[in-house]
Amino acid sequence: MKQSAMFLLAALLSIVIPARAFAASADEIMKQSQAAFLYGGADFKARVMMKLIDKGGRERVRELSMIRKNFGEPGVNQKYFIYFHQPADVKGMAFLVNKYPRKDDDRWLFIPALNMVRRIAAQDRRSSFVGSDFTYEDISGRDIEDDNHSIVKDERIGAADCHVIKSAPKGTDTDYGHKLSWIDKSTKLPLKEEYYDKRGELFKVFSADEVKNIKGFPTVTKRSIKNLQSGHSSEAAYIKADYGIGVEDGLFAERYLRQPPAKWVE
Amino acid sequence: MKKFSLVEFSVDHPKLIVLLAIIISLAFMTQFPKIKTDTNPKNMLPATSAVRVWNDGVEKTFGLYEDMIAVGIVNENGILNKDTLGGIQRITDGILRINGVAARDVSSFTTIDNVTVQDGTLNVAPLMADVPKDQAGVENLRRNLFENPLFLNRIISKDGKTAAIYVPLEKGANGKEIADSIRELVGKEKGGEKFYIAGDPVARDTFGAEMFKLMAVFAPIAGMVMLAVRFFMFRDLFLSVTLMMDAMISIVWSMGLLIGLGFPIHIMSSMAPVFLMAIATDSMHIFNEFYFRYGETKDKRKAIIETMRAVSRPVQNTALATAVGFGVLLFMNIIPVKVFGGLVAFGTVVLRILSFSFIPAMFTFVKEEKIEKIARAQEIRAGGTSRFLRKLAGAGAYHPKTTLVVGLVLFAAALVGLTKIRVNNNLVEWFKTGNEVRIADTVMNRSLGGTSMAYVVATAPEDEYMKTPEAMRHIEGLQRHLEKLPVVGKTTSVVDYVKRINRVLHDDDPKFDAVPETKEMIGQYIFLFSMSAKPSDLDNVVDYPFRRANIWVQLKTWDAQAMRDVIKAMDEYKAAAHESPMRIDLKPAGIAYFNLVWNDEVLWDMVMGFGLALIAVFAILALDFRSVKWALVGYTPLLFTILLIYGVVGYAGKDFDMPISVLSCLSLGMAVDFAIHFVSRLRQRLREMPGESLSDALLWTAERPGKGIIRNAVLFAASFAVMIFAPLTPYITVGAFIVSMMLLSAVMTIVYIPALITLASGSLLEKGRNA
Repeated sequence: MKQSAMFLLAALLSIVIPARAFAASADEIMKQSQAAFLYGGADFKARVMMKLIDKGGRERVRELSMIRKNFGEPGVNQKYFIYFHQPADVKGMAFLVNKYPRKDDDRWLFIPALNMVRRIAAQDRRSSFVGSDFTYEDISGRDIEDDNHSIVKDERIGAADCHVIKSAPKGTDTDYGHKLSWIDKSTKLPLKEEYYDKRGELFKVFSADEVKNIKGFPTVTKRSIKNLQSGHSSEAAYIKADYGIGVEDGLFAERYLRQPPAKWVE
Repeated sequence: MKKFSLVEFSVDHPKLIVLLAIIISLAFMTQFPKIKTDTNPKNMLPATSAVRVWNDGVEKTFGLYEDMIAVGIVNENGILNKDTLGGIQRITDGILRINGVAARDVSSFTTIDNVTVQDGTLNVAPLMADVPKDQAGVENLRRNLFENPLFLNRIISKDGKTAAIYVPLEKGANGKEIADSIRELVGKEKGGEKFYIAGDPVARDTFGAEMFKLMAVFAPIAGMVMLAVRFFMFRDLFLSVTLMMDAMISIVWSMGLLIGLGFPIHIMSSMAPVFLMAIATDSMHIFNEFYFRYGETKDKRKAIIETMRAVSRPVQNTALATAVGFGVLLFMNIIPVKVFGGLVAFGTVVLRILSFSFIPAMFTFVKEEKIEKIARAQEIRAGGTSRFLRKLAGAGAYHPKTTLVVGLVLFAAALVGLTKIRVNNNLVEWFKTGNEVRIADTVMNRSLGGTSMAYVVATAPEDEYMKTPEAMRHIEGLQRHLEKLPVVGKTTSVVDYVKRINRVLHDDDPKFDAVPETKEMIGQYIFLFSMSAKPSDLDNVVDYPFRRANIWVQLKTWDAQAMRDVIKAMDEYKAAAHESPMRIDLKPAGIAYFNLVWNDEVLWDMVMGFGLALIAVFAILALDFRSVKWALVGYTPLLFTILLIYGVVGYAGKDFDMPISVLSCLSLGMAVDFAIHFVSRLRQRLREMPGESLSDALLWTAERPGKGIIRNAVLFAASFAVMIFAPLTPYITVGAFIVSMMLLSAVMTIVYIPALITLASGSLLEKGRNA
């Protein structure tokens, strides 16, 4: 009797202890991944061509310049400047995003037709970025602390050895129930993400379709996201991308929203 | 003659015939488990019909869902309190977890994003992220709801007592299972709210369930009623059961064939068993004659064969006429009507084959003493009914002119009634007043924008045009124009979204609740909107190249006339486009438009089918009688009956719907039986008894075959009378229609044929004798 109780305890411990150890490292992997994916370099600039494709194959195009600068360590404050080139009637529209961990972003939007800057308090970080299947979180990241992360298994994607991490949101304000991420062990970039809805069905798949090394930073230069339920998908490709370009802090100000310096949005 | 050999063969090998009938029936029965129903009103027209192709295209272009369930939440004390809002949150959350629900596009307080402005800051957030914790939160929600025209009359009623959740379904999802899951969710709510579940999928499934009820409960009851009436008429259980089996066999064969061929059961074909049972009563004439003949010959075999010889021609021809009446339906455009026509025509042919094989075979199993007893009883009990029939025929034969004048007066009155007929198919009103579907529809229509959905699709000559202020103003003007119609509850378009953003960007100043001045503004507002809403919100109202816009028009009634009004108003608006001629083309779409097209199709089908049936039935009569004049005589009472009934339909203000229009063709084919029997038997009598006077021959016909006619009519009516208690109004209509038509046409045949023959005896009788 006693022996079997001891055995049971040992068995329980063997389950609990490694799981706890893994939990810590899953968080660590996700942190590293976020740093590699969204915080590479001190600053970053890209010209992005985004395609919104509906079920019937019809496309809408969004072309934009994105400038990003880190303020402090990865995972801490970050600022984004986004300028739209296309569609033609929104040319000149510009976004300023101040991103803080554990707090809603500050966003400002410049509407050229009204020559007006408006602050936008967006509580809904899961909402669509400019009508695409990417959410604001897909663009600028999600707080690591918002989810419980755990390592599910290791798996290869193509030639890349990956950790597969399961992330389950702690709150209920998400459009998904949990997410699986395939994190490349060497680059730490997410090569694939699967979103499962609250019924446990796979409904959205992110994939990094092209990874290039730019100034020593492995960078996802082509990505796509497909909503399996609606049949809608979105692709984003970097036409140009560069790191360490020396963006001044001053760029992230309202007056530049109205008249961005030509060198950043050419 | 072939038929005779079949009869003799059947009489000589009765067991073989019965065994064969049973084996074939079992074979057809194996198909039954494959049964499927189709209650989707869209399938009334083929998938290739112009309206369906167009509607499918519109659905695809604007990413619209084919199926949507609406959940109504009513609290007489107002929705805006913490408890009810908590309920809405719980129910919505539950709905999002149901399989088959297109969760991403569910519209409810907690899933709709709202853009508001406060102190110059745009706020993009779910309308209700969480249940407000205090009264201030509730008031804030109230303001957000009532100041936004996009929400008013959609997710909340003007009086604040009704809220709605819209639940789109994935393609191929099981509407019934989802509706049941939602019912379970709302069943857990213990507050004072009332819940209503409406929408096409719910209506369809309820309809399907009622259809099964008709087939599984009402058809058997009709069969039992017929059995009882028949037993009362003949006092012979064995023969009553034989006729029942006759009907059952034809039902099994035809339904088995239908199911085996892969056709789903529609509303019309669900009525087929009752029709076949009724049509089977035509064999009544065989029984009637058999008893009389047996009384005369006392030899069973001889009586059977003589009976079959005497009735074979009228029975064959009535079967032909009935089959033609139903067969005409095959030429129609409404699919369920076509299938129904083919189904019953096939069943009728089966019945006739059985009349010449199965029934004579069954006769051989009855003991002779028993037949004798019944035959004697026939003679004795003949008194009452026969005296009545004699009187009826006497009225026609002895006072033909008076009879005719009365007829003409009724005819004129019926014509007036005909002009009052209103062609309309209101699918919701096909449910009885107390039905859950109808109640839900009434509640939602009373307080919200309207459950019947129409679209007006605006198409421009070039891409990007929908972003111009000009296009926007045209669409806005059209919306205001359409909203003047009392049947229109709410309209929604891309213009509403643009105006909303315009106002919000201008600190909620009502002055800016208007179409912006430039195309740039519109383009940028739409872009801004797309950041703050579900992608589908925009897709639902404009296409990708901004060449087409979709204006949602919610109607408060499913009447076809409502859509006709919308189209008329739409055309008016286009014609009156003031400053500049409109560069956009407007075209209606949506389920309401489908209903209108289908409705008109029903009318056209009816006119065409009725014309075809008129010609075909007349041709059969003329061929059968070998005389156009006799055909005319036989035809008149029939036409007269139908006119009278339609006159009553007109006066009663009853919608002239698909089942009624179908009946117009059928009734010709069925009621013509009476004329065929009467005229053939009269002429046979005149040939057999050359010395008898015309009026005596007429009275004899009324008395003897006339009794068969009346029995046939009563049996027919008895089986359809059961349908008057059915759960769906089309069944009730069909039941009432056929009961009155059968009884009336039997009486009309017995009164008017003698009158007409007496009046036209000069020219008719010469021919009659030659034939």
